[in-house]
Amino acid sequence: MKNQKIFMLVLFSILLVLLFTGCDQAAEEPVTEEGEKLLIITTLFPQYDFVKQIAGDKVIVTFLLPPGMEPHSFEPSPRDIADIQKADLFIYTGAYMEPWAERIIDAAEGKTLLIVDTSIGIDLMDEDDHHHHHHDEDEHHDEDEHHEHGGKDPHFWLDPLLAKIMVDHIVEGLIQVDPDHEGYYRENGETYKQQLQDLHDKIDSSLAGLENRTILYAGHFAFGYFAARYDLDHISPYEGFAPDAEPTPGNIAELIKRVNESNAKVIYYEELIEPKVAKVVAEQTGAEMVLLHGAHNVTTDELNSGITYIQIMEDNLAKLLEGLQ
Amino acid sequence: MYFDLIVESLEFDFIRRALLVGILISLCCAFLGIFLVLRKLSMIGDGLAHVSFATVALALFLSASPLIVTIPLVVLASFAILALSEKAGLHGDAAIGLVSSFSIALGVLIASLARGFNVDLMSYLFGSILVISRAEVIISVVLSFLVLAVVIYYFNSLFVVTYDEDFARVLGLNTRVMNYLVAILTAVTISLGIRVVGTMLISSLIVFPTVTALQVSKGFKSSILIAVTVAVVSVILGVFSSYIFNLPTGATIVLFNGAFFLISFLVRRLRLV
Amino acid sequence: MTPLMTIEDLAVRYGKHQVLSGISFVINKGDYIGVAGPNGSGKTTLIKAMLGLLPVAEGQISFNNNAAHDPYIGYLPQKAIQSDGLFPATVREVVAMGLLAPKKGPRFYNASDQEKVGKVLKRLDIDDLSDHKIGSLSGGQQQRVLLARALAGSPSLLILDEPTSALDPQIRESFYELLGDLNRVDGVTILLVSHDMASIGKYTKKLLYLDRRVIFFGTYEEFCSSEEMSSYFGPLSQHQICWRHS
Repeated sequence: MKNQKIFMLVLFSILLVLLFTGCDQAAEEPVTEEGEKLLIITTLFPQYDFVKQIAGDKVIVTFLLPPGMEPHSFEPSPRDIADIQKADLFIYTGAYMEPWAERIIDAAEGKTLLIVDTSIGIDLMDEDDHHHHHHDEDEHHDEDEHHEHGGKDPHFWLDPLLAKIMVDHIVEGLIQVDPDHEGYYRENGETYKQQLQDLHDKIDSSLAGLENRTILYAGHFAFGYFAARYDLDHISPYEGFAPDAEPTPGNIAELIKRVNESNAKVIYYEELIEPKVAKVVAEQTGAEMVLLHGAHNVTTDELNSGITYIQIMEDNLAKLLEGLQ
Repeated sequence: MYFDLIVESLEFDFIRRALLVGILISLCCAFLGIFLVLRKLSMIGDGLAHVSFATVALALFLSASPLIVTIPLVVLASFAILALSEKAGLHGDAAIGLVSSFSIALGVLIASLARGFNVDLMSYLFGSILVISRAEVIISVVLSFLVLAVVIYYFNSLFVVTYDEDFARVLGLNTRVMNYLVAILTAVTISLGIRVVGTMLISSLIVFPTVTALQVSKGFKSSILIAVTVAVVSVILGVFSSYIFNLPTGATIVLFNGAFFLISFLVRRLRLV
Repeated sequence: MTPLMTIEDLAVRYGKHQVLSGISFVINKGDYIGVAGPNGSGKTTLIKAMLGLLPVAEGQISFNNNAAHDPYIGYLPQKAIQSDGLFPATVREVVAMGLLAPKKGPRFYNASDQEKVGKVLKRLDIDDLSDHKIGSLSGGQQQRVLLARALAGSPSLLILDEPTSALDPQIRESFYELLGDLNRVDGVTILLVSHDMASIGKYTKKLLYLDRRVIFFGTYEEFCSSEEMSSYFGPLSQHQICWRHS
């Protein structure tokens, strides 16, 4: 009986201690002292790169996705949210790419954090708009339960002209939190936007002459806006963008058939995910597996080598030219 | 017209692999299923599948092969379940529940260390038999044959232990060894089976064929025959149907299992009426 | 009188609890021994020790046969009625289990095994039930099946633990008659554990009375004429047992 009482007492005291330490959490205010750099957090790699191009070393910028991680199933940890609240500027892609951003916005009420939604002003495509599945039977695209994006394609950064709009938003955001350097940000912004324009022109002219305009893709097709901009078509065995377990056999067979019919030399796959389907197709058809990088996130090695959005896009262009000609 | 589609599908490597692996694994599940269901250990399939969730998460986190990591760890878990039932005075279902829920929690922890669930982990939840690699096919085939060989070798002994453990001991059978043997075989089968239908559905491959057979069986041998037939036919129909109607393969296989159960249930009811 | 099995000074403990001590008796070929005693007297414990299911603390159990291995003991366990009607085993499959004892390695059945099963089913008059599911049989029929299982391997000794406790009186009688038949005609040595003193007295040839130790072991003639037993049981009880045995 005595042992039981001691046990209860210990348990109760532990509970009390926990309660009181819990109450000690005061909200942390982001403190930007004079002369200290701005702290900027983005969600994905493209915005991170844009900020670096625009603000240089005037700011400290990081992005949330750990290197090598596939972005569609990312959930911010409590640590991430705390870090965001300590930052000066939080830049995210849009409600459809980061549905959890709403929580952050709510939690940041009344704090000195500025949040930038880079999708404002961009006409978002429906996921079904650009989906082309050629099946023998009549198929209609149902709403997949796996849809995390509510039916809109969030990958607009892969269209350089839309990327320019993102840059505008970022510039405005930077100016708001750091008005002293307005001129600097605007100038760099314009310079970078010109680079993006050049990139667009290059892609446009390079792809213009192609006869074969269909991308055979063994993953979730993130290049919807890219394809729309440059008048390309695609075949992919997946519907939607959420990490599906497995495509149906019909879809895989379809892909294989198209590869064979068009004598394609190349089957494209997406970054950061084991290209299992691509392997199956490649083994069956002898086509070569080529990576088409969606720029959501990069590997540690890529990050260390200082890769940029423009480099990724140029690389993609080269690979497309190789495979489609 | 369907026939043409079936013939066409067989030209694909991935379909043939799915059939081969699917049939072998479902055979293992059916054979083990009858012993597990009759010992009232039906939930062990589910329990060990939850353990495999944690082991797959761990394997992906360490960039190792999920199959190689899963098999030994799930075997250990099955031993843990047995040991808990023996020593901690727990019944089978409580022991399974303990190990199972602990593993899920562990899996979630590991996945969060890797910053979220990724596509590969999800594929183990629902099965991805269509994208099974050549190496995995070989391992699955070899291990399946091993499991089947052992079960057939010890078939009569397992029958006695299942039916009457005391009598089995009197006959001189080492019942403890038999129990651990079943545990190992089940663990291996589950580790292989999660590729076919995923952790969520693997226990159905173990339970359904047996329960279907028990509805209409006339004896032990006939039960096994029916269970095995149902299991294999469900895989074949499942793979082809998923091709023809463009459905997810794992779930389709399980649905066919369910359909067969319904049929046998009705047959039993109508016959007795 | 060929001795079959000798128990010497047997003691069995359950933790610190001494369940049996100083048990000594000899089973001869062709014996039909009734084992009786009050609840908790250790009857089932003795059986389990003889079958090797429990460890022996002291004493010895030895078999007096010339074969290289221990003889096969046929066993009909207590509470053996298979109430699980779902269990898919035919009578034939259940009985065949009894043949697995001497087998090694993959214990597969062969043709001669099937013959043995057929024979014992016929002997016990249940061959018409061969392919029925065990769960669909009545209590009495199931007991016969389990008896067949115990007999299938031609055991040197048949041990039955409370075989009739769940049976109707009528079925009980016919079961005992069958046992008596097996003992007289087929020469099967039987050890029958039961608290049903009346039936024991009526059907068996020797009595082993236990209460953690041997109170009495011998023929009924010896029992009924023993003054020691009269004083132990009281003349009335002793008479009850003896009167049934004639």
